[in-house]
Amino acid sequence: MADLGTSGQPQRPGSAFRVALMLPGSVVTLGLILFALGLLAILAFRFNDGSLFGAGFTLGNFRILASEPLYGLVILRSLTIAGLVTAATVVTAYPVAYYLSFHARSRALILFLVTLPFWTSYLLRVFAWKIVLAYNGVLNSGLIAAGIWSEPSTALLNTPAAVVLTLAHAYAPFAILPILVSLDAIPRSLAEAAADLGATPFTVFRRVILPNSMPGVLAGAVVVFVPTVGDYVTPALVGGPSSTMIGSLIQAQFGKAQDWPFGAALALVVMLVILAVILLVRRADHRFGSRL
Amino acid sequence: MSQKTPRTILSSLLAAALACATALSPVAASAGDKLTYFTWSGYELPEFDATYLKAHADGVDTSTFGDDDDAFTKVKAGFRPDLAHPCYDKVARWSREGLIEPIETSRIKNWDKIFPVFRDLPDLQAGPGKVWMVPWDWGNTSILYRTDLVKDPEASWNLLWDKAYSGRLATIDAVHDTPVVAALLTGVSPFDMTPAQIDIVAAKLREQRPLLSSYTTDMTSVEQALASGQLVAAMTWNASAVALKKQNVPVAFMKPKEGMLTWACGFVLLKGSPHADLAYDFINSRLEASSGQKLIEDYGYGASTTSAFDAVPKATLESLQLPADPNVALKTTIFTGPMKQADDLAKMFEKVKAGG
Repeated sequence: MADLGTSGQPQRPGSAFRVALMLPGSVVTLGLILFALGLLAILAFRFNDGSLFGAGFTLGNFRILASEPLYGLVILRSLTIAGLVTAATVVTAYPVAYYLSFHARSRALILFLVTLPFWTSYLLRVFAWKIVLAYNGVLNSGLIAAGIWSEPSTALLNTPAAVVLTLAHAYAPFAILPILVSLDAIPRSLAEAAADLGATPFTVFRRVILPNSMPGVLAGAVVVFVPTVGDYVTPALVGGPSSTMIGSLIQAQFGKAQDWPFGAALALVVMLVILAVILLVRRADHRFGSRL
Repeated sequence: MSQKTPRTILSSLLAAALACATALSPVAASAGDKLTYFTWSGYELPEFDATYLKAHADGVDTSTFGDDDDAFTKVKAGFRPDLAHPCYDKVARWSREGLIEPIETSRIKNWDKIFPVFRDLPDLQAGPGKVWMVPWDWGNTSILYRTDLVKDPEASWNLLWDKAYSGRLATIDAVHDTPVVAALLTGVSPFDMTPAQIDIVAAKLREQRPLLSSYTTDMTSVEQALASGQLVAAMTWNASAVALKKQNVPVAFMKPKEGMLTWACGFVLLKGSPHADLAYDFINSRLEASSGQKLIEDYGYGASTTSAFDAVPKATLESLQLPADPNVALKTTIFTGPMKQADDLAKMFEKVKAGG
């Protein structure tokens, strides 16, 4: 983008190509994302007079958000659920990426299998989990057949745990791919050198491989964490009343409750909270991270 | 090798996507001349439109919703179908917002066959010979429970507040259902309440939340959960009772002493619809006896026309617990009319559902 404005520089060959490459991204960023964000920010400071875009200017929406503990509670619940999903996803994705990077012979096949669930709709995958977790579902029937339970449990479906499980499964590839890329980028000679100096395989992993792959782990964690905080389809389908997340509340303001300004304020606050969490994580990584 | 495979897959995927897009584009192009109908899920079935489809072979574009409050917001935000299917309690709101235009009763062939009790509903009137909504269906909301798992319960909505069945109850996620029942149980008028009374209703709803497995409008899931025994009782509409009885699940549709809820819904014509003529054809087709008969026999809902009831055998009506005259039903039930504080109730209900 910077090149567009600097007229003093001589035209380099291929600059038309560069402009063409930049164009779609700029249009999307300016036209769709920034415009929508601006609209959201304006909407958040208006009050609900029954029309979609509200009227006037007020801080009332934020005052309600601050004064009612419910919203903080639901945001905290969403962060907790998303945090658990992120932890579960990264912890299970890492071994897969590690195996792919260091040991796999049929890499293309495994990568293909990893992305295979994406060939079906997300809704179908959620319903598949419903079948597994339901009262007369696969898991309950299996456990009864194995003699572990005598009667089916209602504690599997419509719980926050079901939400975590479903989301963790859905987002697994998003964590595997960035971790794999960062593992691939580590020069193999580093591990050999460490081994030559007498490090055990575990020490090599802890002191060389893991620190060097942290950027991938963090990238994967962010990619999983951010969309799951705002998810509302999954809690609606497999979570009960005790797993209502902030996405459902925002959606309700734009739907049934018909208070777009309040929904916008809620969305804005959630974005700021997510931003704060990410900044904190980056800060912690810089200070305590094991990278050299 | 390892690089080639994903690339080949990608290129074949792209080719497939392109082929799909090309194949679909004529369909998309012709959609402009079709009637768009926005309705409750389950009401879009072509079986209800036999006559219309005979005359207009290219069919109807349908879009469905699970709750007419959501539908209202979607239309307000710019979705423009030709016909929509809200319920009576929302009609005043649709007309007040200028979303719909009056329908001329002279162009509705079977207008006189509609039960007067529905024809004369106050919020329908849009001047001489004009109405805001043409009623098509009515039915009841009550508790559907497993007779083998809940032994002889007291006929009361309180079953959905019974701690003995904690975690095995479900209720409908709509302002015109669950909060109305909470109001009835606390002795508050559901259709006009003071802020203090809203708090009383909220307290009643808060009491129920920990006992519920879910708030939902997905009746298929509720029916499956009742059939499997995961749920022992749930708030449903007639259709679920009919569906489960057909599957020989031991269920009963309760007649609570506080009264079932009765609702009536129908067709509204969206303002400026370019397909008004098609819309009239569609409404006329739905008001034919055969269409209403299907609605009664398949779903157990009442049709709005006397002719549809005449077409259904007496024995069938009895097994469906459907009186041939809606006035009989309305003597013992609560008719869901417009709720003055609908917006405040909606906000309160959302908060309670989230745990506040």
